[in-house]
Amino acid sequence: MEGITSEALVLAASAIGAGLAMIAGIGAGIGQGYAAGKGAESVGRQPEAQGDIIRTMLLGSAVAETTGIYGLIIALVLLFVNPLVGML
Amino acid sequence: MESSNFIIDFLEWLLSFERNALILAGSAIGAGFAMIAGIGPGIGQGLAAGKGAEAVSYNRKNSKKSTMVMLLGSAVAETSGILALVVALILLFMNPLIGVEGTGLVLAASGIGAGLSMIAGIGAGIGQGYAAAKGTEAVGKRPKLQPAIVRTMFLGQAVAQTTGIYALIVALVLMFINPFV
Repeated sequence: MEGITSEALVLAASAIGAGLAMIAGIGAGIGQGYAAGKGAESVGRQPEAQGDIIRTMLLGSAVAETTGIYGLIIALVLLFVNPLVGML
Repeated sequence: MESSNFIIDFLEWLLSFERNALILAGSAIGAGFAMIAGIGPGIGQGLAAGKGAEAVSYNRKNSKKSTMVMLLGSAVAETSGILALVVALILLFMNPLIGVEGTGLVLAASGIGAGLSMIAGIGAGIGQGYAAAKGTEAVGKRPKLQPAIVRTMFLGQAVAQTTGIYALIVALVLMFINPFV
């Protein structure tokens, strides 16, 4: 039990928290994969509209990416600019 | 009484730390849990994006209309992700638990609980994204009905938001007006 400082406990919990935050990536992966599948299906149905279809698909996928990026930001904050250690 | 129980050993080990360290550690884990809510908007907006691509292939002439409905619906589906982000940022940067009088263990658990509560945002995110997808599909098929379709979509999304709001209320109560201390 000795030798573990308060800072170490906060940093250990921060590492767990950073990992938990990245679980959010599941959603963006599933959603964008669905969009890509529908995009391929749509180009197959109407090849001449390929440009329009890809534009709409990429626009929607960019929106679906946002929550994954939020998770990444929180994880990076926890890892590199941890604000909690300064509050001890 | 002997304390050979693992859970009791663990709690005693946790209580050997100073109070602030315990609370901040709980807040870090809670911030991570809160961000899991991002799964919902990710899946929901992806559904909308897929239906958007499909709608463009059905009805290329009205691709602007269906794309706009897709973006409107996705914006609503984003809310639970943003709410989770706000809770995580509050826990990290303006932690309200640390200034409160009370048992350290309870406050640490409240930080974790606030994060866990926000995971409910998954449901609202997926559901609202599904509504956005169907709205986009419908506008692609019948662009003339766009106002009615968008109105119905927003109405349904507002109802789907309720459980996400309940989660936010519980998280805010745990953080700011904790009844346990």
